[in-house]
Amino acid sequence: MDHRFQVSLRGVIDLLSHHLYSSPGVYVRELLQNATDAIRARQHLESQHPGTLRLELMEKQDGGATTLVFTDDGVGLTEEEVHRFLATIGESSKREALEARRNDFIGQFGIGLLSCFMVCDELLVVTRSARGTHPTLEWRGRHDGTYDVRPAAHPLERPGTQVFLTARADMAEWFTPERVRSLVLHYGGLLPFPIHLTVGGQTEHLNRDGAPWSASYESPSERREALLAYGRQVFDMDFLDYIPLRATSGDVQGVAFVLPASPHFNAKQKHRVYLKSMLLSESADNLLPDWAFFVKCVVNANALRPTASRESFYEDAVLERARGSLGVALRRYLMDLAREEPRALQRLIALHGLSMKALALDDDDFFRLVIDWLPFETSLGMMTLGDYRRAYSLVRYTPTLDGFRQVARVAAAQGLCIINAAYTHDTALLERLPQLFPEVRAEPFSSAELPQSFEELTDDERHAVRSLVRVADRALLPFRCGVEVRKFLPAEVPTLYSTDEEGAFRREAERAREGADDLYAGVVAGVLEGAPGQLHAKLCFNYLNPVVRRMARVPDREVMKLSVEMLYVQSLLLGQHPLSAREMTLLNQGLLGLIDARLGDDDEGPENDGGPGSREVH
Amino acid sequence: MAGDWNDEADALLERAEHLPYGDTKTRILEEAVRLADLHGDIDRGYALRGELIDAATFGGAADKVLVAFAWCRGQQKKDPKRFDPEEMLWKQKWVVGLMDEFPSISRQQIAAALDDLEQGFARVNAGKRAMLKLRYLTAMDMGEVDEAERLWAAWIQTPRDHLTDCRVCELDDELDHHVRRGEWELALRKARPLLDGRQFCTEVPHQTFGTLLYPLFRLGRMEEARDCHQRGYALIAKNREFLATVGEHLEFLGLTDNLERGLALFERHLGWALEHASRRDRFTFYTAAGFLLGRVVSAGRATATLRLPRDFELYQSNSTYETRALAAWMDAQSRDLALQFDARNGTDRFARLRQRTEALRTEVRPFALEG
Repeated sequence: MDHRFQVSLRGVIDLLSHHLYSSPGVYVRELLQNATDAIRARQHLESQHPGTLRLELMEKQDGGATTLVFTDDGVGLTEEEVHRFLATIGESSKREALEARRNDFIGQFGIGLLSCFMVCDELLVVTRSARGTHPTLEWRGRHDGTYDVRPAAHPLERPGTQVFLTARADMAEWFTPERVRSLVLHYGGLLPFPIHLTVGGQTEHLNRDGAPWSASYESPSERREALLAYGRQVFDMDFLDYIPLRATSGDVQGVAFVLPASPHFNAKQKHRVYLKSMLLSESADNLLPDWAFFVKCVVNANALRPTASRESFYEDAVLERARGSLGVALRRYLMDLAREEPRALQRLIALHGLSMKALALDDDDFFRLVIDWLPFETSLGMMTLGDYRRAYSLVRYTPTLDGFRQVARVAAAQGLCIINAAYTHDTALLERLPQLFPEVRAEPFSSAELPQSFEELTDDERHAVRSLVRVADRALLPFRCGVEVRKFLPAEVPTLYSTDEEGAFRREAERAREGADDLYAGVVAGVLEGAPGQLHAKLCFNYLNPVVRRMARVPDREVMKLSVEMLYVQSLLLGQHPLSAREMTLLNQGLLGLIDARLGDDDEGPENDGGPGSREVH
Repeated sequence: MAGDWNDEADALLERAEHLPYGDTKTRILEEAVRLADLHGDIDRGYALRGELIDAATFGGAADKVLVAFAWCRGQQKKDPKRFDPEEMLWKQKWVVGLMDEFPSISRQQIAAALDDLEQGFARVNAGKRAMLKLRYLTAMDMGEVDEAERLWAAWIQTPRDHLTDCRVCELDDELDHHVRRGEWELALRKARPLLDGRQFCTEVPHQTFGTLLYPLFRLGRMEEARDCHQRGYALIAKNREFLATVGEHLEFLGLTDNLERGLALFERHLGWALEHASRRDRFTFYTAAGFLLGRVVSAGRATATLRLPRDFELYQSNSTYETRALAAWMDAQSRDLALQFDARNGTDRFARLRQRTEALRTEVRPFALEG
């Protein structure tokens, strides 16, 4: 008797092919999944049942359509179960419903079969249940939505299921022996029971190897060679080494491969993951801890929950614990390397420094072990922290690049070695350093600290700059900038604007307030209130600089003031500090004033209208 | 030289994009902003500040958010055609939400900023939902209990629109509400999709795990609490944005008598608290740290070996600290901040939060995290 599906089969097939499946080739995956589930279900009944899967391609000599017969010796279906899967197909018109049904054996069976209609118009399923005595049944379904169920003309000798698919004319390419072989290996290459493919009377055992990490090998070196060859085959890359992975949570096993080159930024790697030995995704990216971007891995998980897209796993407690265990495995490899083959680890650091730094931040023991081998950029060139610490008792670093630029030249001239810790993780590592090594002093360094290393003036010299200090103090007070005179190298540098992060932020806040409306200017004032420090910064004059010494001798206070203001603005610009509106005015007026002074007295004398350039200069 | 700096700013921006939220990302964007300002490029400075506002909002630098926005606001007022305020309404929502974390920003300023934002929303014909939530959160933070209840009810039943926060973030705020009312079971039931990893956002479930520690503790669901502590702490340990959440974990460790681990977290994060922009988050941390250290004192430990920052007032170069003195210092900070907040708000919420913590001493129930 003929029946009709409850819903438009076309609609469901359309839904599957457009929303759930990325390619028609997944019909092989779905059939493998069904066979695997059936074999596992049978193994529940008979624990010794080995399970076998046979595929046969029957190509017609006359060029007619090829038929693929997919045979498993799994648990089979009873008549009642056949009707249940048909009901499932009827209900599977929503994606959510499809996903939910996948978790149940019968539901998955029906949905799996539906995918076959992407490549064929008619499907024949012959099945015999292993539960008690049931007749062999035959279900014939057609893409137009009609089907019939009847006792099979040729009963199966043993329990199991056979699926016959006859290729649709436009889908013949999905039925060639090469394509079927590669699809089976792609999706089911790790399945733990034999899969045979028969073509033209020749039978081939497709998945001889199983999971390469579970296989036994003659020697460690043979294991290494085999696994690296496997890595090359999967990722098309020559890896440096392999690391075995295992996690009890999620029942995860696999292998990680060490990348031969440093990845661009700390991009998360795409891993290949299998769920219960069936390929789930080639681009899972949430399986390893964040720092582990120096490896790509292949793993099989038996108890993690896939997301609807089947691209990765849900972020749940099981995954969290599994990720923890996989992280421990990677970390143990690195710790062993540190103790037993430090040179190999140093090579790894040179290649994957960023990954190693990220792990050190995550893991105190690893930090202690490798921190001295990590490379840093300093004002005197690249060096490891170990080299730095052997040469200097205090570790000084700048957290930003412009902070580094502000001090690098002058610091180098004083023989100070400063680490540029603007690179990813560097500041966080150096902040952590004294917490883990109490004897080590590590401090952020800024141009505010620089003057402490400068030589003080003698009493005579101090006397000589007395009026300069007084004039400069008064000129710069409106800019919340203090004044100091010291001797430092290089002598060509007349002044140094010295400030720290807090000072730089206050400058920025001041500039924001200048332009904002009353409401937000008030808010900025509120933010700054209570924060310490009246003076943002200090302008440090260099007594070794001849211009500074001449300035200090100039009798004309206005000239002295103008020069101070110009040096102030110049040192701001050299330190890459954006100017406030008032500082910009200072610059403009000052330039005009200097030009005016160079032009000298003419007949009219200096202008005196209060505009720019109105300073009295003689 | 001209031209170069644009490349340099691009490079900074690209680096920032690949970094997780935190100090480094914030600093890099500040640097890019300074470059633009230095070269007088207002358009670039405006765009980069937009990025900086994002990074600082999710990187625990509320002061930088407010200053960057104030600068942009200035440009909007000067030339609203070139710098359309509408495009920054989403960020302005965060900006206004941060204000009450500074006791030095007055009630009037906060009220004015809320009204100003509401007008901005009205100009683009946005719905009321986002504004109601923001007003609800502000009222709640400032201890206006009745007003908060009224706004909660109004918020929940107002339709969503393009300017409301995502469902996941809203759900997280709902959880806070239920936990505050002691509706432990309800909070946990609603939190399920967040805990299962089915739904997430930038700061969810990072904060959620911290929120749920106390309800789970109260219900005696200790294995789940342990999971929340372990999964949650891993998500927040490297971003100072979560200082207050660290406080919740400290409290949990004190409540369950895991004092060693509590001290390890305290040691690791005190530096954040000492210089954190958000005074409210400092309060939460100091209050919880005071509780934890009080537990350490009660357990009979007179001293503890800790590596604390050099600029900490009680810094000891030999790393040996009197636990009683540490507890007292934390408590004094907490009390001082509570006074400032309650004075500004004109309510007693922070004093009551301190009383709540004080009462936790009687609830301690040891539970070993390991094994």
